[in-house]
Amino acid sequence: MQRIIDSILAKKDVLVFLILLLFSLYLITNSNFYHKAKILKVSNNFTNLIFDEYSYLNEYFRLEDYNDALIKENVRLHNELQNFKSINIDSSLLKKDFIYSNAKIISNNISLLKNYLIINKGSIDGVVREMGIISSEGIIGIVDEVSENYSSVMSILNLNLKINAKVKRTSHFGSLEWEGLDIDILILKDIPKTAKINIGDSVVTGGMSAIFPENIKIGIVSNVSTNNNSDNYLRIEIKLHNDMSKLRNIYLLSSLFKNEIEQLKTKNQ
Amino acid sequence: MNNLYFSIIIRFVMLVLLQGLIFNRFDLFGTYDPYICLVFILIFPIKINRIAFLIICFFFGIILDLFSNSYGINAAACLSIAFLRPFILNFVFGSFFDPHGVKMMKHYFNDSSIYQKIIYLFTIIFIHHLILFSLEIFSINHFNLIFIKTLNTSILSFIFCSTFIYLLVQNEK
Repeated sequence: MQRIIDSILAKKDVLVFLILLLFSLYLITNSNFYHKAKILKVSNNFTNLIFDEYSYLNEYFRLEDYNDALIKENVRLHNELQNFKSINIDSSLLKKDFIYSNAKIISNNISLLKNYLIINKGSIDGVVREMGIISSEGIIGIVDEVSENYSSVMSILNLNLKINAKVKRTSHFGSLEWEGLDIDILILKDIPKTAKINIGDSVVTGGMSAIFPENIKIGIVSNVSTNNNSDNYLRIEIKLHNDMSKLRNIYLLSSLFKNEIEQLKTKNQ
Repeated sequence: MNNLYFSIIIRFVMLVLLQGLIFNRFDLFGTYDPYICLVFILIFPIKINRIAFLIICFFFGIILDLFSNSYGINAAACLSIAFLRPFILNFVFGSFFDPHGVKMMKHYFNDSSIYQKIIYLFTIIFIHHLILFSLEIFSINHFNLIFIKTLNTSILSFIFCSTFIYLLVQNEK
């Protein structure tokens, strides 16, 4: 017995290594579930405070860019509004699906393969899981975890995220994924070979889920190719309108009919 | 000796903040960030107890995880290279390596050939990145992606880390 204990003690650094490795593997596997490890969740608020101050400082250096983007968006919205003013509609009759609210990104990571963003609104401001996030240039991601004052967002540059999208001109639906290397390019899959897709076609959200409304812009088709094997689907590369490395002001989308749609979905299953 | 612990704490805080606030936003060539934080493990004094070294590196990784919104991948990668470092030192420097730590890291970098330095830095950086990205994806289907990402990031990290080590090691106590 003494010998066994001695031999274990002789290799105690291996033992410490294995225990700590198991603990970190436990953290990694647990992060895939809804309830993440509680230690990390509490202390995450501490780093978020640092990020908040730091991004506040950083904002000053890019104020001109942000203002330019906002003015461009204002011009576009004014032009769209002008079209509607010529028509007389009782606004109470218009059906409204989504409510917009604003937030700011305080931490943005694009170098990993499963990237997350942190925004400065949390459950106090009414953020819940699976809200859509867009900027004036296109979609950004989906809310993943919500704490009191902050929430983490699964970026579209995340291998786990798939978004329903369509080619605007032909209305072909497919699912949008990231391949992991190029931050400008997403891949649109599941579109049959018979579809005639041209380079330069614009791609928008499909509106098949309660997360994004229909016709939010995403990007333009930059390359269309077919796999050599007997695959019946096209591989369409899409160049994003958004520059994912330079984001600051964003909009949160909350669907008014989300519960209704979810209920229908669960009834069907 | 007190001076030694003090310099370790300073390096710990400085490298975590540098990595978390500046180098994580570098985004060179689109999506590559150099991992400057590895300097902490690369030049950690050998005379410190190995178990203490493992535990310190584990917490170093956990804090890096908080800064990059990931869970446990940095901790596992840092811990693994902390465990493997004596074997790599032994492999690269051969009989020059003494496990009791009478020699300082300064001597290893000053009294070795350029190939030994390059092999030591590159092996540790490459293993760290390989573990980091494989644990992050956790699927064998993306093997090509993991390899390309690891290789490109390793080359970047190598350039940045060697510059940092050149600056830091010269005035090691």
